[in-house]
Amino acid sequence: MNDTPPPRKLTLYVAGQTPKSIAAIANLKAMVAGPLAGQYEIEVIDLRQNPKLAKEHSIVAIPTLVRELPVPIRKVIGDLSDVEKVLVALKVQGE
Amino acid sequence: MSLDEVAELRRRLAEAEETLRAIRDGDVDALVVEQQNVSQVFDIGGGAEAYHVFMEAMHVGAAAIDGTGRILYANARLTAVLGFTQNSVQGSSFTDIAPDEVASAVERIMPRAALGVASEEVSFDRLGEQVHYILTATPLRLSTTHGFAITFTDVSERVRAEAAEQSERAAHAVIASANEAVVVCDREGLITHANAAAELSFGGDLLGLPFADAIPLIFPDATGLLQAEDIVRMVVDGASVQGVEAHAPKAPKVKDYLVSAAPLQVGHDVINGCVITMVDLSQRKAAEKQQLLMMRELDHRVKNTLALVLSIASRTLHHEDTLEGFQQAFTGRIQALAATHSLLAENSWTNLTIADVVRSELAPYTAGAAGRFTIQDLGKSLAPRAAIALGLVIHELATNATKYGALSVPGGKLSVRGHAEGERFIVEWRESGGPPVTPPKHRGFGQTVITRSLQYTPSGGAEVDFAPEGLVCRISLPLEDLHE
Repeated sequence: MNDTPPPRKLTLYVAGQTPKSIAAIANLKAMVAGPLAGQYEIEVIDLRQNPKLAKEHSIVAIPTLVRELPVPIRKVIGDLSDVEKVLVALKVQGE
Repeated sequence: MSLDEVAELRRRLAEAEETLRAIRDGDVDALVVEQQNVSQVFDIGGGAEAYHVFMEAMHVGAAAIDGTGRILYANARLTAVLGFTQNSVQGSSFTDIAPDEVASAVERIMPRAALGVASEEVSFDRLGEQVHYILTATPLRLSTTHGFAITFTDVSERVRAEAAEQSERAAHAVIASANEAVVVCDREGLITHANAAAELSFGGDLLGLPFADAIPLIFPDATGLLQAEDIVRMVVDGASVQGVEAHAPKAPKVKDYLVSAAPLQVGHDVINGCVITMVDLSQRKAAEKQQLLMMRELDHRVKNTLALVLSIASRTLHHEDTLEGFQQAFTGRIQALAATHSLLAENSWTNLTIADVVRSELAPYTAGAAGRFTIQDLGKSLAPRAAIALGLVIHELATNATKYGALSVPGGKLSVRGHAEGERFIVEWRESGGPPVTPPKHRGFGQTVITRSLQYTPSGGAEVDFAPEGLVCRISLPLEDLHE
């Protein structure tokens, strides 16, 4: 009876408190509270604390946002300040 | 190669290209580098730690913000300044976490700071206390991010000192501008301020002196219970003294004061001393005395006037044969009295001259007869009782002249002249050009009025000469009632 699909996971890779990391976290939180409300749950991974986790999604540049499911995997690189670009990349509007 | 493999290769190529673009465009500020199968994070342009440490060492509140106003880092001092916790502020904007005044100031300063260093003063309420800061913004580049360094310098003390100085100046100006004597005492009753009026009234420099010594006041209504030093003590204890009459016997000029005193409160609830105001009562006292004097004088005059009216009535009745004759003579005499009274009242019973009285009494007879009268040397002032008496005399002379003398025919003339004659001052009434004069067969009341009215002192009186060519009356005015 539950029509709402379970929220999908978005993983944000940051590096401690670099300006872009701080901006990306704040921007992602704003999007999840706004245009993406209810659709995603977010996980923030600090690669400075745990660099090995970069391997899982082959992260090179920081910050990077990863949407694993549904396939194909999608990545958005940068501080996520361009909301339109993020939404297009996640193909939220089409899906 | 399968289609899926091709698609996967394309995706990875696109990802690689996007990564390169992001690095080239400065969209990222850290990279993961793998060496010998170990991943390591490298910051582009140096790590955040260095500037965090630097900011914590600063003695002012400081924040690094990006171009959108988002806080990248705020030092602990700023956290204390604005009252927020450091953990929660990263990624927030000032609008979310700072007082409105600060958020608006940051918003205003950013466009200006993009062109160079910009400053703005900001005041806001922190835990019920108004605080003042100078906000300075400087353009800053952190790694690949453009932003601003913002510092908050506390100028509250300076602003408070300026405000205190200003209010002190204002208080000084208020005290200095007051017409009344104002002195300010500290809790011990020593004078700390005194305005010019106070120093003028109590002679010289009052600063540093005990109030009771510098301004020894006596409170006549308090029967010795209240002393000058008590006023300061009462007020310092929180009471107010309002409008107590006091006498200052040692003051150089003014003797009577209305004293009020109130606690001096600078800041909250603490009484720092007292402010004492002394209003000069001497003018009011003088006015009260004058009023009392005038009331007694009025009482005296009303009684005199009533006695005079009674006397005029009985004498006129005695000398007139008919009721019409009585009415005419009596009315005329009362009107003469009234005319002089009006004159006296108009001049507040002072500064009435002989000429004023003569003109006023002659006014009914001189209308349209200009040229027949001469008035000369009658400029001396005379006291009210002399004015009333002279008014009655002139009235009788004028009535007589109209009935029998110079004023009864068209060509008749009249002169009234004043001159000193030894110790006396004589007003001479001289008629001419009238019918030949013969002395009356019997002495009427009019003649009695003329000769006796001014005889209330030895130097006053009048004598009538019924000379055939015209009546002459020499009126001697009492010297004590004459003034220059």
